[in-house]
This record gives sequence, C-alpha cells and structure tokens, in this order.
Amino acid sequence: MITRLAPFIACAIALGWPAAPARAQSAPRIALRPFAEVSGERFAATQSFNATFGQSVEPLYGGGLDVTFRDRYFVDLAASRFKKTGDQVFVNNGQVFHLGLAMTATLTPVELIGGYRFHPRVHGQPVAWLIPYAGGGVGWYGYQQTSAFAQPSENIDTRKTGVVAIAGAELRVHRWIGIAGDVVYTHVPGILGSDPSVSHAFGEDDLGGVAGRFRVIVGR
Amino acid sequence: MFRSRAVFLPASVLVAALAVSHGQSTTDASRFVVLAGVGLPAVDAGMATETTHAPSTAETLHRVELRRAMQDQRAGLSAPYTPGRLIVRFKDAASSAARLNALRSASSTAVIGERPSDANFDVVRMDPTEDPEAAAEVLRARPEIDYVQPAYRVHTMFVPNDPYYLSSPSFTPGQWNLPLIGLEQAWDIQPAAGSTITVAVLDTGMAYMNATITATLPAFRDDQGTQYPALGPVVIPYSAADQLVGGSGAGRVVKPRDFIWDGTPSQFMPLDFDGHGTHVSGTIGQLTNDHIGTAGVAFNVKLMPVKVIDSIWDDLFGAPGSGDDSTVARAIRYAADNGANVINMSIGREGPPDTAPAIEEAIRYAVSQGVFIAIAAGNAYENGNPKEVIAEIASRVQGAVSVAAVDRHAVGQTGTRRCQGTPASPDCHAYYSSSGSWVEISAPGGSERGFDRDGYVWQQTFDFNLTDTFLLPPDSFTAPRFDVLKYVGYIGTSMATPHVTGVAAMMMQQGIRDPAAIEAAMEKFAIDLGAPGRDDLFGYGLIDARSSLRGLGLAR
Repeated sequence: MITRLAPFIACAIALGWPAAPARAQSAPRIALRPFAEVSGERFAATQSFNATFGQSVEPLYGGGLDVTFRDRYFVDLAASRFKKTGDQVFVNNGQVFHLGLAMTATLTPVELIGGYRFHPRVHGQPVAWLIPYAGGGVGWYGYQQTSAFAQPSENIDTRKTGVVAIAGAELRVHRWIGIAGDVVYTHVPGILGSDPSVSHAFGEDDLGGVAGRFRVIVGR
Repeated sequence: MFRSRAVFLPASVLVAALAVSHGQSTTDASRFVVLAGVGLPAVDAGMATETTHAPSTAETLHRVELRRAMQDQRAGLSAPYTPGRLIVRFKDAASSAARLNALRSASSTAVIGERPSDANFDVVRMDPTEDPEAAAEVLRARPEIDYVQPAYRVHTMFVPNDPYYLSSPSFTPGQWNLPLIGLEQAWDIQPAAGSTITVAVLDTGMAYMNATITATLPAFRDDQGTQYPALGPVVIPYSAADQLVGGSGAGRVVKPRDFIWDGTPSQFMPLDFDGHGTHVSGTIGQLTNDHIGTAGVAFNVKLMPVKVIDSIWDDLFGAPGSGDDSTVARAIRYAADNGANVINMSIGREGPPDTAPAIEEAIRYAVSQGVFIAIAAGNAYENGNPKEVIAEIASRVQGAVSVAAVDRHAVGQTGTRRCQGTPASPDCHAYYSSSGSWVEISAPGGSERGFDRDGYVWQQTFDFNLTDTFLLPPDSFTAPRFDVLKYVGYIGTSMATPHVTGVAAMMMQQGIRDPAAIEAAMEKFAIDLGAPGRDDLFGYGLIDARSSLRGLGLAR
C-alpha cells in the first residue's frame, strides 16, 4: 500500500511544500468541508461490465467530509455507491450469451484520501480561485451481488481493501462554495476473477478503474 | 374402452381392406399399409410391473439377437454392415467416367445408385456377397474419392422397462433421475421448458399418431432357429402416446420422417414399432404438470421424429431400409435442414475409430447450422468396452456431446467428492456405461443392480406384453398391438442422452444459441464425479440443468 502511494506523496511534496504562499497562512487552520459528489467510472473490468451491464462506464453518487489543514493538506473521507441491474450471461470464447436473468451488483466504496493542495501563481500573483490538488489513500470496497434464482450461498456480500489516487483542481466559485473536478484511479483486487464468473471468463480481477469525478464543496 | 375396440377392429379390417384394394399401398409387395388417423386413442394401462428391459436380461438379449437374425435373414449375411452397399463421397472434380473407373477397381458389380435425399454422398450398390470393407480399403487409395465406408449398422443404446415423478407407495422409484440433475430449479428458471425449440429424435420412430396398419406377416426363424408361422394379412391397431403428443398432438410433432421406409408412402410416418424411440422422446418432452403419468425434461419442445433404426417388426413388415451409417447421416442432415435445433441420438455402434466419415460430416454440418447434438456414449462397458464410433465423433466436435450414464447411487451425494467408490461416496457409474476418451458428460441412465425396478428410468411407451409377441413360443405368436401404453422402465446411455438433449433445448431457449457454447456451458457447470476433473467414466461430470441455465454473474 505504502509503495503504491509513494509516488503521489513524493509528487505532492515536490510540488507543494516549497511553494507555500503567504495566502495560505491566512486560511483557517483547520477547515471542515462537507461535499457531495458524482463520478463516472470506467471500470478496469471492461469486458465483464460490458457483458453484464451493456457498458463499462457507470455512475457513482456519494458524499463525504474534506478536512484541510492550513489550506495545504487535506484528508477526505468519502462514501459513494453504484448499483445496477444487468443480466446473468454465459461467455464462450469471448462470445456473450444473455440469459435474461436479473443480476444486481452494488458497489459501495468508502475512501480515505490524504493529499496536498497547490496554490499556483501567475506572474507572481496567487491564483486564489483555482486550487490543484493531488493525493492518495486507501479504500474499503463493499460489493453485493444478487441474482434471480440464486441460492443464498450464491449471493455475494463482501468487502475488500483497495488503493486510490487522485489528481484534480478545486474552483472557488463563492466564499463558501467550491467545485472540484478530478481524476480518480482505484485498484480493487479480491472481488472479481473467481471461477465461475463473468470476470473469470474474461480474466479480469480488478473492480477498480479510472473515474472522472465532480464535487460540490461547502466551506472555505 | 375395450368394448369399443371390439367394434373398432372389424371395422378397421374393412376399412383397411378397402384401402388396400384401392391401391394406397406401394411398399414392399403391398405387405404394409398405414392408414394414418384411422384408429382410437391409446389405452393407458398404467405402470408396467415387469423388469425385463434391463441390459443383461434374457429378454433384452433375445430382442437384440432376434433383430440381428431378422436383418441377417433379410440380407442373407451376418455382418456389422448392410451387405451390398458402400457410402462414397466422390471429389467434386471427378468425372462420371472417373468415378465409375474407381469403383471398377474395387468391385466389378458396383454401381452408383441415385443419390438419396438428404445425403451429400452416394450410395454404391454391389453384390451382397462381396466384402464392402475390402472394397472400401481399395477405394480409399483412389484420388477420385474423399471418403468411402461400408454402411455400418447402428442400433439403439437402450435397455428398457415402468413411471411417475414422485415416489409413492404405489410406485416407489419415482423419477429420481429428473431432480438429480437439478431440473426442479431449472423449471423455475424456465417454466416454458423449451417451447420455441424443436428436437429431432433419431431413433426407432415415435408413437405420435393413431393409425390402423394392415400387414402381411411372413414366417420367420428367430435367433435360436425356432420357426415361427406366417400369420398372413393382419390388422394392427396403433395409437399415439397421449402423454407425448397430447389430446390432438396438433403442433407438437413437426416434420416427421422415416428413413427405414424411405421411398414408400410411409416415409413421412415414422411410427415406432419398438418402444425405444417413444420412451426416449418421453424423457425429452413428456407432457408434464398435468397430473398424469411421468414428467419430461423440456416438456414443451416440439418433437421431430426421425426413424433411423429398424425394429424387429419393421423387418417383419418388410421395411425396405435398415439402420446404418447412410440412414443416420441422411437423417442428421434432414433434421438440420428442416428446423431442428437439437438432435437426440440414443443410438450408436462399435468399431474402429474414424470409420464413419459420412456421419461425422453430417454431424459437423448440423452443428455448423446451429444444431446441438447429444449422442449416447455406449452400453458395452462390461462387454470389452469397445470404442463407440459415433460417440467418439462427438468428442471431436464442439457442439456435439457424448453422454455416459450414472445410476441411482448418485442420488443424495453432495459436496465435491462424489461417486468416489467408497462407502461414504458410492460409485455411481452405471455398470454398462462405456468409458473412454470420448465420454464428455454424464446423465441418469439407471441401473437395476442394487435397486431392482427402483433404479430404472421411467416413461410412457408400449405394453411390451402386447408388442413383443415374437418372444412367445411359436404357438402363442400373434400380431402385435400398438394401442396399449404403459409406463415402462428402461436402462442405458440411451436414457441418459435425452436428459442432456432436454437441457440443451432449455439452454437454447434461455439464450445460448450456439451449440459449441451449450457444450462449453454443460461441461463448465457439470458436477464433477469420480476422479477430479474430466475422466473417462463420467467425462466432465453430471449435467447440472439449473446451473447451466443460470449462467454466470459478474463475480462469484
């Protein structure tokens, strides 16, 4: 885990720490900022999602709390959810046969991310309305799967740990409101890939992916 | 019922006589005429109590030998092939002269007959006393020829005997075979049970319509040399199996075809004079959930009876054809070209591998047309366990599977180590079920050993006491009646195969239309038996209808 996060931490230190602007000194020492978010994730298990849901980009909705320290460092605790009903299928040599039996998957990520907020300058002047940030962390990914005519032992309710890395920027649109857009990478092993399953048929074992995320943040 | 029959029979004689006098018969010397639709519904005689139709009973062996004797008497030779016949596929570029020259190199009497319907090969006629295997050997070296083979005889993979789905005091066995493969849950998933699917049953025919038959029965000698008297012209009542075709049968039976009576008015009336085909058809599609009799696997499928095996009665009636490779290859093509989605072949033959190119090509053709094929793996485990030629083809074609049999020992075994041959995990390999590299999947075929009648696979077919009169002494020999039906128990890989066929029909309706994918799914979801992984006794294991229909979720 630490190994995976190391590049992001190093990046944050290299870019942020040497350039701490005077403005940051006047920001609240600690700010608690709740947020709501929506993201569209392209799942790494592209073929599996295409087979069962007809597409591999899916929305997640959620919210959480962002804590910033001197407007430089932040820790986010976010929870989101994806739920969709698709099809039980059979896969043979890459060909997918839909069986018309409902299969519902629910993914509930809870992610704890730490990172650094940058304060860029243009012509020596701070750009107060734009705050790039980057970070990384750990996530706990709850996964439930139910399907038509399943025996109780065939339904799935599990939680696995994964890693997450983010990079994006926050746009201050109001004294108390910011909006943020970022790219989120997650790697979630241990849920997909077991036999028999669609993901095993396609050799896909990562329930993570790359997401574009949009947040509305309340707070300074 | 019987009183009305007393009136019916004389009337039938009159009708039949009139029909014959009006020249409706064109078969072998007008010995055999079927008046379709003229006849009463079947008498349901309930459950049969006798257990003579198991693989090793004296009656079963007698039937097999008698049929062989009938064929031999007709052909004048005892051989595993139809004498005087070769199946030849000439290269397209070969001229007529070149083809004839090639034939002359092997036989001076060989002539190319008119190509039969539904065949992509020619049937070469030659002197019946010549050895077709030797002739084929010579012809194989000729450049004009793709393949050549004798017309090897095929036979059913059965061993017959009685019914009812649930075990009850009056009928203790119940249909143990259906829940064993997860069918109750499968029916929940797909209550339509294959209603859009057509299953061709290549067998001894099917009791699918009422009819009155007039036939002239000649004298014959049985396999032990006993002389049976000629019975002369007789009228034989024939009734549809009501639990197979329903009250009217309308729409259930499609495109029936009889290759044993090919070229006669009966060629589109594949009536079963044996009982095997009707029993097999019952396991595939017996009417179910109607408070009557037994259940079938895919009980709403449409059935296409295609007769490829001649019964003893077919031979006595003077059928012009017999069940051999040519018949089977044509029947497979006929089924594929006439809308069948699944073909059941509870038939087979032993012999060296790769001696049935005509059938192999037909199987590959059918699969390429989207037809799934289930083939019996053979009943000769205790008889030297020879290679089953047709089943062996299935193992080389993705989309065709060979089916071995398990017995009732499999019932109640759970977990991953089933049928290990230990007290805690009894061996469930049916004693007769052939083993080998060609075995791909297993299904219930039954066994009397250890279970007596409780170990049979039960379906509706004829009352053998009234049909198999050739088993009686000559002075008791009478014309058969095919209008009394019973629930009879059979045993064999013939009985295992229709389970797989029925599940395939349900899988097709569920959405897996590709035969190769159906086979892959069956093998993937099979319940492993015996040695871990695929093995020669059970193949990939016992077919699991429920899991095969449910398919895969995103995760497991």
